[in-house]
Amino acid sequence: MTTTEHRPGEQPVGLSADHLLRQLDEGLPAGEIPAALFGNEDVYRHELRSVFGRCWVFLAHESEIEARGDYVLRKIGEDNFVVVRDEEGGINVLFDACRHRGVQVCRADSGNTSHFRCPYHGWTYNTKGDLVGAPLWRNAFGGMSKEGNGLVPAAKVASYHGLVFATLDPSAPPLAEYLGGMTWYLDLVFGLNAEGVEVLGPPQRFVIDANWKSGADNFSGDDYHLGTLHRSVWEIGAFPVPFRENMLGYHIQASPGHSLSFSMAPTEDEPGPKFFGYPEELTKTFDTSRISAHQLDVARRSRVFVGNVFPNFSILALPMTEDGANHPPTGILTIRTWQPKGPGQVEVWNWFCAYKNMTPEQKDRAYKAGLGTFSMGGSFEMDDTEPWITVSRTGRSVAAEVLDFKLNYQMGMPGIGIAKRVEEWPGPGIVYWTRYEEGVQRNLFSFYSRMMQAAPGQWPDFTFDDE
Amino acid sequence: MNPITTKVRAGSELHCEVVDWLDTEAELLDDGHEARWLEEMVSREVIYQMPLRQTVERARGAGFEEHAFHLDETYGSLASRVARNQTLYAWAEDPPSRIRHFITGVRVSEAEDGLVAVRSNLLVMRTRQEMTQPQTFAGERRDVLRREDGVLRLYRRTILLDLTVIGTHNLAIFF
Ligand code: FES
Ligand SMILES: [Fe+2]
Repeated sequence: MTTTEHRPGEQPVGLSADHLLRQLDEGLPAGEIPAALFGNEDVYRHELRSVFGRCWVFLAHESEIEARGDYVLRKIGEDNFVVVRDEEGGINVLFDACRHRGVQVCRADSGNTSHFRCPYHGWTYNTKGDLVGAPLWRNAFGGMSKEGNGLVPAAKVASYHGLVFATLDPSAPPLAEYLGGMTWYLDLVFGLNAEGVEVLGPPQRFVIDANWKSGADNFSGDDYHLGTLHRSVWEIGAFPVPFRENMLGYHIQASPGHSLSFSMAPTEDEPGPKFFGYPEELTKTFDTSRISAHQLDVARRSRVFVGNVFPNFSILALPMTEDGANHPPTGILTIRTWQPKGPGQVEVWNWFCAYKNMTPEQKDRAYKAGLGTFSMGGSFEMDDTEPWITVSRTGRSVAAEVLDFKLNYQMGMPGIGIAKRVEEWPGPGIVYWTRYEEGVQRNLFSFYSRMMQAAPGQWPDFTFDDE
Repeated sequence: MNPITTKVRAGSELHCEVVDWLDTEAELLDDGHEARWLEEMVSREVIYQMPLRQTVERARGAGFEEHAFHLDETYGSLASRVARNQTLYAWAEDPPSRIRHFITGVRVSEAEDGLVAVRSNLLVMRTRQEMTQPQTFAGERRDVLRREDGVLRLYRRTILLDLTVIGTHNLAIFF
């Protein structure tokens, strides 16, 4: 049965979000996801409100706005927010819209300022967003209170290991509760030593005709695509772990919505890369000052870490080189967001990170290796986007609707493949051994479905029943 | 580059040689002969960069980053890209894009040390599969050519795009 959405004076425009979400709920236990989720307009409109209008979303790294007055312009959903460090060192996330007529007040991507002045009539705000003045104030506004007429802040702002998140929903739980089990895994990437991580420059931005969920889906732990889509990288020596070896490791549903994957050898003493391939002079500084011995141990054994914080923030650490003939692979760390820009368009924001205590030479090497592999001009990532473009084309096709086209997410389900649930594991979450497994993505979509259908003020569970 | 440079007039011998060189290069790249381009036209000591750009206030200049890039290549990494494109699994450019380099406004200066500085405007159009609207990249090249064994080779290239957000699904092509 097909229900359609009717708007007054319009022809039916296809399947409704309600219908597709019901299909998703019915199909997920069997590993089936309706393709139309990757292109349907009604779904997209609901995502902007129910996902991006409510969830904690990543905006910036604290190292981008180190000095008082430093700001960057970022997005929550499709909307612009100024992320600015105020005179007291606090971080504010302010909707970039003047309270007078809604005009954009921040017109640069980044900078340093003591105030934002609206270009229309000159309302002026400080770095906390407070209205501090306007031209000929007494004549125009004398008697009106400045208080209550400042830039509108996000409902909540919080940082985790320097990663700045915000939410527009005052009913959102605290960030740590929202991240749930994922904090344990973020710790063992961003908390490996007391100094922590910084970004190497502003983010790259690319607009691609794909759906934002393809990026989230891929980084939740799609390791299997490396063997085909990225096969060229072994031929040029960009990545040191062979495909079959690299499929060994763990798939982890850290908590509802948030998933990750480790490439890891079965034994502890394997000779391959440790700590995502970072040089030994650096990894000697990794310790338990901020994490547990278990976390340090898991990081030590990790050749690759890839994960996605729901909805659209992804992290990847692994050994890479842009020039296998002249430089051995070294650890790189990239973080990125998949900013929605319509049902069939995504803006990719890509940052490279380094541990703060790396030498300038180590940072330079890690940056070049990262840029030459995991960016739109990089040997690894340049192959990813064209498939995603066609996923969204399939997603908005009439054929997918009328043929009831379902995508297959069955890898690693009971009786399918070799992946097995692991009980002995030091960290939180639902854990599988070997990465021939798509439960990580089913976790993304099952939380997605619950967010999309949650009533205002209501939140899905942040822990699994059967953990 | 030696700061003492002399502007070379259009129509002079060196200017003609440079224009010829740029046209030959564009032809090799547009025809998909990137391996020959690398072998015959690029210096082993090349630095080839596309800086990252942001929108910034006028007082901060044009917004190009000094230490952040979209492409930051040496001969080795360019060779690695060329080798990648020749594997059977270089999906990004197989089937290949149709590429057209338009090079205009060629300005040449010669330094005392024999290096040749070239500024030119760049328009690259890229079409794939059934696209009817090409992806376009407008910007400027700042090149330094060096004579090696009598032949001009690309020694430095900085590609300054007129874009902060890039409307392409990858940068698998050469600028
Ligand atoms: S709209 Fe901003 S001052 Fe009027
Ligand atoms: Fe990939």
